[in-house]
Amino acid sequence: MRALIVDDERLARVELRRLLTRHPEVQIAGESASGEDAVAEIAKLAPDILFLDIQMPGMTGFELLERLDDVPAVIFTTAYDEFAIKAFEVNAIDYLLKPIAPERLAAALARVKLPAPASGTAGPHLAQIFVRDGDRCWMVRLADVFLIESEGNYARLCFGTERPLIRRSLNALEERLDPVTFFRANRTQIINMRAIQRIDGSVGGGLVATLRDGRAVEVSRRQAARLRDQFGY
Amino acid sequence: MTGESPDDAARRNRRARFYWPVQIGAWTAYSVIGFFAASSRYQGSRTDLAAGYACYAVYSIALTDSLRREIRRRGWRTMRPGKMWPRLLASVFAVSAVQTVLIVIVNLAFAGRQSPFVEDKIQIAFVFLGTSGAMAMWMIYYVMFTARWARDEQQAQLKLALREAQLRALEAQINPHFLFNGLNSIRGLVIENPARAQDMITRLSNILRHNLRHDVRHTVPLSSEIGAVTDYLALEGVRFDERLRVRFEVDPAAADVKVPSLLLQTLVENAVKHGIARLPAGGDVVIRASLLAHSVVVEVENSGGLTEAAPEATQVGLANTRERLRILYGGRATLSLAARGVGRVAATAIIPVTATT
Repeated sequence: MRALIVDDERLARVELRRLLTRHPEVQIAGESASGEDAVAEIAKLAPDILFLDIQMPGMTGFELLERLDDVPAVIFTTAYDEFAIKAFEVNAIDYLLKPIAPERLAAALARVKLPAPASGTAGPHLAQIFVRDGDRCWMVRLADVFLIESEGNYARLCFGTERPLIRRSLNALEERLDPVTFFRANRTQIINMRAIQRIDGSVGGGLVATLRDGRAVEVSRRQAARLRDQFGY
Repeated sequence: MTGESPDDAARRNRRARFYWPVQIGAWTAYSVIGFFAASSRYQGSRTDLAAGYACYAVYSIALTDSLRREIRRRGWRTMRPGKMWPRLLASVFAVSAVQTVLIVIVNLAFAGRQSPFVEDKIQIAFVFLGTSGAMAMWMIYYVMFTARWARDEQQAQLKLALREAQLRALEAQINPHFLFNGLNSIRGLVIENPARAQDMITRLSNILRHNLRHDVRHTVPLSSEIGAVTDYLALEGVRFDERLRVRFEVDPAAADVKVPSLLLQTLVENAVKHGIARLPAGGDVVIRASLLAHSVVVEVENSGGLTEAAPEATQVGLANTRERLRILYGGRATLSLAARGVGRVAATAIIPVTATT
């Protein structure tokens, strides 16, 4: 896997690079000394994994992840912020405390779950995004999201029992979603087709899709035709 | 007392305003009553008698006031009852004896040797007993009134001691970001530059030792604080590389001046944490110290903005430092944080140059 090291301290990057020489499966694709630089490097190099410092001037590690469209696997490296990371709700991101113990690094690498194979190679579709809503953060695999609802310029992601808002419009999000999985049911809702449990007809030629969690989503007439095609219904 | 807070001073003021009217009023009233009681039986001049009782009032006020001062000076009021009461009782008789002697002297002065009063030893014994009774009453009231004050005083002292312990713990605490990032950098240096890594370990040891020795009431020579800060900045220099630039402008005459321990380190730490660490391109920290006639001005100026650089944590840190200055110097030391031109912030402490213990 290809890694990018993001840390504002040169010696911290040197040290991590040296620790990683014992792990030939990790190739170091590059290094960034700031969040700004990392955003550009990630776009260019499309790494599989980020080693990410949290406290950096200009942009923190959290802010960097929020800026990313599609997020690779992440291991935080931090001197003291493990409490912030432990606050993660779902899909806890692994973290390494500095100075980094070689065994901990090995354990963290063994646990790395690379996102769906399509991503990492900067595929056209989102696989995983980082979501922060107030004090809570999630690393969300799109496959786990069953419904996305528009709220003005924001979108509400529904996965598990969580409903955080993200700062992206539904239209912008739709462009980056895999059309095989996600389906625009109406003006304000996108549903995950794998989460549909039942489809019923409704008055006026539309459909009502009942989702995993029991919610009924209206499918507009125009979109209903597409759904019928796809499902052969 | 250096540890007196405005609260203590206010409490003392209230007590002083209460004490004098009562002290003077009670003894005057007692003497006036005594005068009228005695005047029916007294055959001599009324003026002499009045003068005698006026003297009695003045002596009583003066004597019990010195007694009060002595009780406070010796701290009898905060002793446990078994030790306090015998002392108070003995002092009542001692003061009464002095008063009796004074009355005899006054009598001799006014009425001369042939005064029937001085002749009559039983009279003198009665005066002694009567005075002892009055003094005992005074003592009982004194103990009653001071009971609450003594308790307040004890609580105030306890609170102060607790606060000092808290401040000490807070200040001596090494910033964990500094410690762990520093150790991580040293780990990296061990292979890249072993000699520098060794130097950094020594400097880190110096800082830890300096902080462990810290005491809120301690003052140390400015040169020793400068030494600790030099070590601190050298370590941060490893972390920040060329992003941290440091300049010292220290008046050599100020080297031996005593300053509160860790004061400079706290200011420098804030400058790095809230100034340099937030600037992607880094910045500089300037440490200045100059000696004035009666004070030393210690200043830490750094790149960075004030609004961004003054979150709650800094304000709490500054408030703690100010409180410590108050414990050490009363109101005579100041600490301020202010913007200095665009993109610069300075923390300035003005500390009186006096030997504090």
